Amino acid sequence: MFQDARHSQIIALVTFLILGVAQRDWTLDPPGVLLLGLACLLTQAALSRQPPQSPAGKSALITALGLTVLLRSESWFGLPVAGCLGIGSKFWLRVRGKHLFNPANFGIIAATLLGLPVWVSPGQWGEEIWTALVFLGLGGMVLRQVGRWETSGVFMGAYGLLEMGRNLWLGWSWDVLAHRLMSGSLLVFALFMISDPRSIPDARWARAGWAAAVAVLTFVLRNNFALSTAPFWALFLLAPLTPLLDYLWPQERFTWTDPSPENPNP
Amino acid sequence: MIIKLLWIVLLSLSLLLVGAERAWAFCGFYVSKADASLYNQASQVILAHHEDQTILTMASDYQGQPQDFALVVPVPTVITRDQVQVTEPALMERLDAFSAPRLVEYFDRDPCEPLPIMAPLTMRAAVINGPINRALGVTVVDRFTVGEYDIVILSAQESQGLATWLRRSGYQIPKGVAPLLQPYIRQGMKFFVARVNLGNYQRSGYQFLRPLQIRYQSPKFMLPIRLGMVNATGPQDLLVYILSPQGRAEVTNYRTVQVPSGEEIPLFVKQEFSSFYKAMFRTAYERENRNVAFLEYAWDTNNCDPCAAAPLTPEELRQAGAFWLDEPPSDQDSRFAAPGSTFITRLHVRYTRDKFPEDLMFQETANQEFFQGRYILRYPYTGDATCAAARRYRQQLPQEYEHQAETLAELTGWDIQGIRSRLGRP
Repeated sequence: MFQDARHSQIIALVTFLILGVAQRDWTLDPPGVLLLGLACLLTQAALSRQPPQSPAGKSALITALGLTVLLRSESWFGLPVAGCLGIGSKFWLRVRGKHLFNPANFGIIAATLLGLPVWVSPGQWGEEIWTALVFLGLGGMVLRQVGRWETSGVFMGAYGLLEMGRNLWLGWSWDVLAHRLMSGSLLVFALFMISDPRSIPDARWARAGWAAAVAVLTFVLRNNFALSTAPFWALFLLAPLTPLLDYLWPQERFTWTDPSPENPNP
Repeated sequence: MIIKLLWIVLLSLSLLLVGAERAWAFCGFYVSKADASLYNQASQVILAHHEDQTILTMASDYQGQPQDFALVVPVPTVITRDQVQVTEPALMERLDAFSAPRLVEYFDRDPCEPLPIMAPLTMRAAVINGPINRALGVTVVDRFTVGEYDIVILSAQESQGLATWLRRSGYQIPKGVAPLLQPYIRQGMKFFVARVNLGNYQRSGYQFLRPLQIRYQSPKFMLPIRLGMVNATGPQDLLVYILSPQGRAEVTNYRTVQVPSGEEIPLFVKQEFSSFYKAMFRTAYERENRNVAFLEYAWDTNNCDPCAAAPLTPEELRQAGAFWLDEPPSDQDSRFAAPGSTFITRLHVRYTRDKFPEDLMFQETANQEFFQGRYILRYPYTGDATCAAARRYRQQLPQEYEHQAETLAELTGWDIQGIRSRLGRP
């Protein structure tokens, strides 16, 4: 079952969703979530000309779950449109056959830029330590399988160091730093978005440098521009560097499972 | 090997976070010019915000002598004379009244009569160019008088210098405040310092100090609560009324949680709604681990249902800072919100130093969903009714009373036996 890391990603995201709804009184709009799932699966099926139950459908499901966990909307169309845009970006925005953006990330930013009634609630997770450990544990499970763990590690490490430096310079007590880093949406971002092996640089060192750049930009956007959705913007803005890094440091491209003729698409 | 290393790093990080030093939270802090002990236990703030524009109105329950009042608030930008004004105290009361948690009363209909008669009735919860001093590194950026306040805008280079400047200028600032000034100085923030101009105050004829209102442009949509925790002895209550043309506002660095609402509670609560609400709030606060912001109200200011007070007029909203009412709506606003509409969010934050290490950060969202803290009193039908439905109705009543008693006990933490005996039940 865990041959394909997407299975553990799906389990982890569903767990977060259940925890969020049960423990964190998230108000989800079930028809909206259902529509989002359908929108993602159908867009994937239509654009890849493969049935929704094909392996690539799992990626579409992960995008839908990621958006459900991170993005909020009060209208019925906000999430599904974000989902369609995200999945669509995998097919429309490609460089040498590799998609440029993480689909959920693209969905969040495109929906925001288009002025759709959607928003990200960075505070919705709270900061309880157990939540963080659950996150780390489940995230680790996924990351170890995918083999792209260093992206999350470098991002969190670099971001943590930058925040630590800022904390020292400003003279805040350490609990301020802890509070800033114990953000649920930051962890979901680090574990599930920036580590998406299909849209990040293929070479390990290129990936590490790129993840550090995303951390620096996140830090600047959050602290200098007071942007609560800083990591999503940072990833969106730096994602176009991936083809350049892949060109400079070519490496075998990641596939979810062994490449096979019936799974040529994302 | 590398995975192992990563886990060690992650584990140490989490241990560091668990063991992090519990260093020992309105806006800014009140300082005294005399030796009076001042504590700001409850404050009310209006934040009218859209895009990068913020109008902050601050009121406190300051009880001391006006000559002893002083206020220091870090602000993101330099504030000039035309960015400051005083507002009527009644404004804050209007916003409070309009958005306060409410009791609603419903009267059960005659079970033999199919037509419903509802009579909602509401009650309010009683809740709550100057010289440069180079040696100290403090620059008096501006100095002016607005209404009964003398205002100084300070820019500083280091905290000790600022603390010394304030002390020398006759402000008795709380002990231990200097290190807390540092982070604001280093973020390039300025300090808004206000004290009472006694002559103007006496001429104004007001009994209380009026709220101060500051307008500024900055992407920072926040309230500095850290300084206010310096002279606090216990938890402090802050009511924030956020006005936005877009929709609900929420806290981005703490959870925003809705207060329990919509529950049916026993009729005797009508006489003690205030103590009910306080107990209920305290219970919810404890249950949420004392580190969340509570949403008490979110509604379009044009209407209410039921109304705890008459809807706010455009003039009142303008006074409260809703600057967008004077501007033509942009494309983005008009797409989803009615042009010229204002959404109000009432957040109730009870904060302490250990649970709120960071200042409050906010964001406006496109969320237009209404919410209100609302508690229901249901009066049983007491008229003559002899049909079969009436018999069933009377048989069900004891169960409903019991359910209301249990709800009340759960919401407030009050003793269930005490509630039952007040209801005349065993």
